[in-house]
Amino acid sequence: MPLSKQQVSSLVQLVASTTPDEIDCDGCLDHVAEFAETQLAGLPIESAMAEVQNHLANCHCCQLEFETFLKALSGMDESSE
Amino acid sequence: MSEPMISDPWVERLKDPERQEEALTELRVRLVRGLKKAFSSAGESFAEDIAQDALIRILEKIDQFEGRSQFPTWAMSIAVRLATSQTRRKHFKDVSLEQFTNGEGLKLEVAVDTVPGAAEQLEQGTIYQKLSELIDGLSDRQQTAVRALLGGMPVEEIADRTSSNRNAVYKLVHDARTKLKSGLEAAGYSADDLTGSIA
Ligand SMILES: [Zn+2]
Repeated sequence: MPLSKQQVSSLVQLVASTTPDEIDCDGCLDHVAEFAETQLAGLPIESAMAEVQNHLANCHCCQLEFETFLKALSGMDESSE
Repeated sequence: MSEPMISDPWVERLKDPERQEEALTELRVRLVRGLKKAFSSAGESFAEDIAQDALIRILEKIDQFEGRSQFPTWAMSIAVRLATSQTRRKHFKDVSLEQFTNGEGLKLEVAVDTVPGAAEQLEQGTIYQKLSELIDGLSDRQQTAVRALLGGMPVEEIADRTSSNRNAVYKLVHDARTKLKSGLEAAGYSADDLTGSIA
């Protein structure tokens, strides 16, 4: 069964964005707290943070986890009442 | 023994036997609040259970905290990873790798449209043709992982089904992407050509 049109597009996108030394999922976790704070503060994304951004774009797993993480962060400081 | 590089009030309290309990309670409350919001459809005790496990992990990893973010943010990143792993596992419990291919094998196959069309379509056709050839050169494991990933299966779940781990599967897929990219580059297609072909 060939890949669907959309899957081929995703594959081409994944291939195009490949860089030689990408961080892995654990590397992403190591920096994601800092990345989230940088993003929430609207600060520019620099070097190490750019690698996190790249990983998130290429790893569906970490991307979903990141969205959940942002939600959890916003809930963390809300008052419980 | 060398002193830790950073001094953070949270780290200090969590390492002080007299103040640890109080700090853990405070941190637990915040983790539970965040987890409840992010996993609102999970069961009643889910957030509490995860927070409990997360606190253990956080204490284990506390020396890895480098102060690059606020401590609670870092702590929450650990809790969320635990929580997503667990919910994911539940969600994909009965899903097999083969389900992504309707039992037709895990081989990656790119359909190449041979209908003559506009110049862009011809370009796309030749890129896909080349991609298809390069895919044949990937290992079975690489093809399986890429296929499952494109089918929507999370890296971690692929790892569970191939007796691997999340990092190793990411690396496996990364090697496959690198091979495909350099093969396409050797054939004269840049990253921009690739993104242009799917625009
Ligand atoms: Zn990842």
